[in-house]
Amino acid sequence: MLNIENLLLRLGGNDILKNIDLSVESGEVVSLIGPSGTGKTSLLRCINLLEAPYAGRMTFENDTYDFSKISQRDKLRLRRQTAMVFQQYNLFKNKTVLENVMEAQVLVQKKSKQAAYDESLDQLEKVGLRNKLDSYPARLSGGQQQRVSIARALAVHPSVILFDEPTSALDPELVGEVLHTIRDVAKSGMTILLVTHEMRFAKDISDRVIFMDNGQVEEQGTPEDIFNRSQNPRTRQFLSQFYTPNFEI
Amino acid sequence: MNFEYMLEILPRFFSVIPVTALIIAVSFIAGLLLSVGVTIIRVKKIPVFNRLMDIYLSFTRSAPILLQLFIFYFGIPVLLQAFGIAVTNVEPIVAAIACLVFYNGAFMSEILRPAYLAIDKGQFEAADSLGYTGWQKFSRITMPQLIPIALPGMTNAMIHLIHDSSLIFAIGVVDIMGLANIIGSETYGLYQVEVFLTVAVIYWVISLIFEQLVKLFDKRRRKVLKFEGYTSSEGAG
Repeated sequence: MLNIENLLLRLGGNDILKNIDLSVESGEVVSLIGPSGTGKTSLLRCINLLEAPYAGRMTFENDTYDFSKISQRDKLRLRRQTAMVFQQYNLFKNKTVLENVMEAQVLVQKKSKQAAYDESLDQLEKVGLRNKLDSYPARLSGGQQQRVSIARALAVHPSVILFDEPTSALDPELVGEVLHTIRDVAKSGMTILLVTHEMRFAKDISDRVIFMDNGQVEEQGTPEDIFNRSQNPRTRQFLSQFYTPNFEI
Repeated sequence: MNFEYMLEILPRFFSVIPVTALIIAVSFIAGLLLSVGVTIIRVKKIPVFNRLMDIYLSFTRSAPILLQLFIFYFGIPVLLQAFGIAVTNVEPIVAAIACLVFYNGAFMSEILRPAYLAIDKGQFEAADSLGYTGWQKFSRITMPQLIPIALPGMTNAMIHLIHDSSLIFAIGVVDIMGLANIIGSETYGLYQVEVFLTVAVIYWVISLIFEQLVKLFDKRRRKVLKFEGYTSSEGAG
């Protein structure tokens, strides 16, 4: 479904990401883990072209894109098939919860207002916020905002949802509700790419885990491979910081 | 002080108030449009043009507005001649409006630019990530969030403009001030004080009306900023 070859992201003369090959199957849940500043978020943002890679190729839902020559049309087409959940939620501040979830459906997908409304209620019900339709984001807790933003992403029925550290900005006691929502999304069969520092969650939810270091994919495999059986010294060093794995020595 | 004389000349000003109002309205609207263009060039850092804007802003900020009026009044014919259009003189009101538009294009862009920069970048990224076109992003996200932030500054710009417009009599426009000079000379300067006090009252009333209008918006503006979660709600206005 998604296949990236040889991606190179260069910002201000520095190679942020190099030689990235990545492929994701439909319905797969893939987590990106690794130290801060290693390019996980950048990689995610390359997929919907919030960052413009310097070179590389990507195949997405039967369309092939050459990163070195992306047109405005390519950008819109790609972005309309993906959705992103941001670390800082990024709900539209000037719109209510309902408007946040509805707007892209009407504006971008040209759905009728009624259809968009029904869909929005449906998605908000799933994230447990149907009773907040007319609230403005500033009135909601971080966890509630993030759940609305997940509803907003689901409502456009993307081919893949890109989660960019969705719980990193939350107060610790709010992390659970958001993880719970993401778990539900994963169970529904949605294709997910998730950047996270919640190692336990990544281990739990993922079909595949990718460990990145220094702008490159260092190692990838099943959660079991990465968390319990990794022979890669960098991976082991990284994981030892927050997780006590059962390495066989 | 001759109050009767003041009351006597007051109605004569009613005929020129529309002239002043027209100049202010046209200059404000056209100046605003120009400033939007200038702001776009500056925030997008469009090469070459961005440099030109620096020069433009620096010039309008440093040269006194009266001087700019003269430059426009005497300069437009010279400029047109360079393009092969022979004009001996240009209507003062045209030169006045052109100058005020030019001045406000720069002045207001210095209000719009920081207002734009105050908007959280994540708002634009969210719109991008959902596949909004540039126009959709501008009309649905940028504008509605920018207006309440920029409003106090824009109010100040408007008050400046009302004041600046009182200088255009210097190039011969018969607006409120222009007429004041004419009336003043009719009595050989005997009632100068009365004439100018009358004019002061007129400007006062115009400003009061405008301030009341702004107050109507300002209540709403504060409310909007509050529910959007922007903390700053102070500022002149």
